[in-house]
Amino acid sequence: MDAALKELAKLEKLTADGKAKSPPIDHTLDMLLATLRAERERIQSGSASSETFEGLATKIEGLKKDLDERQKEIYNSVSRYGKALDKKFPNSLPTFSPLFTSDKAFQALDRTVALHFLRTGQFTTAETFIEEAGVNVSEETRTLFLDLHRIVTALKAGDIDPALEWVKWNRDFLHARQSPLEFQLHRARYLHFLIECQPPDVPSAVAYAKANFGCFYSQNESEIMRLMACIVYLPLARLRASPYADLASPNLYTDIDPMFAREYCASLGMSRQIPLKVVGDIGGGGALARIEKGRKLMRERKSEWSQTDELPIEIPLPAENRYHSIFACPVSKEQSTEQNPPMMMECGHVVIKDSLQKLSKSGGRVKCPYCPVESQAGNALLVRF
Amino acid sequence: MSNGAGSSKVNVEGVMLFEQPFARVPFENYRKVFRTTQRQIEKDFSAMQTATNDLVERSKNGGGVDEDAVQGIDAMITRVDNLKRKLSDLNENFGVPTQAVMKERLEHLSVVEDAQTQTTPEYQRWSDTRLDRWLVDWALRTGRERTAKKITAEKGIHTLVDVDIFMDIRRIELGLVTHSCTEALAWCNENKAALRKLKSTLEFDLRLQEYIELARLRQTDEAIGYLKRHIVNWHDAHMQQIKQATALLAFPPNTTCNPYKRLYDPSRWDSLVRAFRLAVYNLNSLPTEPLLNLALYAGLASLKLPSCYDGSCKNVDCPVCDPDFGVLAQEVPSSHHVNSTIVCQISGKIMNEDNPPMAFPNGYVYSREALEEMAAQHQGIVTCPRSHKTCTLQELRKVFVS
Repeated sequence: MDAALKELAKLEKLTADGKAKSPPIDHTLDMLLATLRAERERIQSGSASSETFEGLATKIEGLKKDLDERQKEIYNSVSRYGKALDKKFPNSLPTFSPLFTSDKAFQALDRTVALHFLRTGQFTTAETFIEEAGVNVSEETRTLFLDLHRIVTALKAGDIDPALEWVKWNRDFLHARQSPLEFQLHRARYLHFLIECQPPDVPSAVAYAKANFGCFYSQNESEIMRLMACIVYLPLARLRASPYADLASPNLYTDIDPMFAREYCASLGMSRQIPLKVVGDIGGGGALARIEKGRKLMRERKSEWSQTDELPIEIPLPAENRYHSIFACPVSKEQSTEQNPPMMMECGHVVIKDSLQKLSKSGGRVKCPYCPVESQAGNALLVRF
Repeated sequence: MSNGAGSSKVNVEGVMLFEQPFARVPFENYRKVFRTTQRQIEKDFSAMQTATNDLVERSKNGGGVDEDAVQGIDAMITRVDNLKRKLSDLNENFGVPTQAVMKERLEHLSVVEDAQTQTTPEYQRWSDTRLDRWLVDWALRTGRERTAKKITAEKGIHTLVDVDIFMDIRRIELGLVTHSCTEALAWCNENKAALRKLKSTLEFDLRLQEYIELARLRQTDEAIGYLKRHIVNWHDAHMQQIKQATALLAFPPNTTCNPYKRLYDPSRWDSLVRAFRLAVYNLNSLPTEPLLNLALYAGLASLKLPSCYDGSCKNVDCPVCDPDFGVLAQEVPSSHHVNSTIVCQISGKIMNEDNPPMAFPNGYVYSREALEEMAAQHQGIVTCPRSHKTCTLQELRKVFVS
């Protein structure tokens, strides 16, 4: 971007009457005015003649040349800036036949955008959009998101009560997920007494622990022991230099609010990340460029690529965006399917069913292609990832 | 087994593919300002040159150097004063603000170049803003102006979005929808040189339509006059169409004879709307599709797998498994994979040598880390969350996925 910014700085200077080969436009026009006024005086004093008028014409022509020079410099500067942009952005976006135009897709996209506004807490934008686009989002859904936003805002401000209230109503769900949320909330409240109260309010902390930690003991034995033991090192300054320094961190709630949002969304059957952002970041972070490159390569090789079927190239994804297992058979390179599932031989190596059949010899014996073990094909175990 | 870790380094080139219009739109606007400035200068100076030449002529022909001459000079002084004011207005109200937008956008894009990885807060903030920009662009293109303006105001991104272009498009399109070419022709006139460079036939098509409307009303004289004034000078490129247009006068609007029936077809107006949009997009290097759609196309295609549509394999965290995204993803190809990636359905982590897959006796596979954690909490017993099969940690078999 530096090259373009540099050209832009030059252009700014040229148009802001900065110094250049030719005089600034304003300056030239002032000269012109002075010339005209002088001529006017000459007329009034009677010393004007056809010669002085001719002189005026020449003068105007000369000044026009100055103007043209300046405009030319500006024009060249604009072109150089354009070239810098061309260099920085050499490829225009690919043309696609219109996407997502079927009624069904159009509605799906509208709903997705509406939910995106709600989920990211842009409630007034969401209301505007829902009304303008006539999207069908139930009152219930809107309330659920408003609630989420209310609780997360409170958490960010250090108030865990609304979150605890929600947890109380959703305990079974959280329990089934083995969610650490409830314990983390109590832990934050407990530490609040010790760290945020001046001086540390040990009796309240202990009372709170007694009342609330009991049912979490089996799962969080060592953490609860640490929490109780850290009292010994108070006050805060000493705690910071102790083996329990990590408990003295000032951002008690920063980890909890994303955790809460995740659990809350999971309880509604929604993803932990913001899906529109995930898809957009992948698509806009290099995937489109790679797809285009692949497509161009296919065109050059004159090989067909049926666009609706499968991409011709692999788009690398960060680990956090791998949501499903993929098994590609190391022998045939084919992806496993319901009809052609992955099979684990006795040695633990996995190939797909078709490959297993091809590898098996008479009597159903299979020599593993990856280790010396020979086993019965019939003993291979169908695995589910 | 691939660890599946796509690098989190920012793919600057890939990101910039989307940003060409973002950088170019204010540049095109600036060029317009420059052209207007140039036209203004040319106009006033040519008038002044004529005026001085008059003065010279008159004085040569014995005309007195008198009050008239003073008035002539005064008119020129007023003209230069006006020119000065106009140019400075143009610069202050359009030139400087446009340059500021150009600068702000380049600096905005510098964030991407400076970001080391996609996980830095700077890059994340940038990409949040990018999504807001995409949503504004999408809303404008789908006719949701209030939403677009709302996002722009709420996020304070006025200089980063191109609301004005779309407001112009809207205004001109409304004209075309009500069967008036006036606004569109004015736009063509403003962008004459650029349209010629693009070899756009929009202006001819608009002129032809105005002519067809005269023919429809059977105003033959006016039609012929129009033909002479606005259409015949396109003869180089459009001779065939001009001949047809001329013959159109012989056919009534209810003719069943093609191609004249087609010329009278009101759906020509719809094609004009499309042609106009295309010309505006081309002129500003805007893509024909909303940027959001392009990003979604590529993003969904990178993620889409057959498992996303298989009830038993759905993952609530996977965007494509969402019913609405699932509908959109039907329009895009599936992702392509050469290597295996095994994702633990308990922890969501990708399994590898350090955290290998372990199989229950019934074949269900999870990561060792997740199973060991479960065993630690349940006295060494593990339960398969899908099949509810229970066994000890020792009964699990290590799986080798090469």
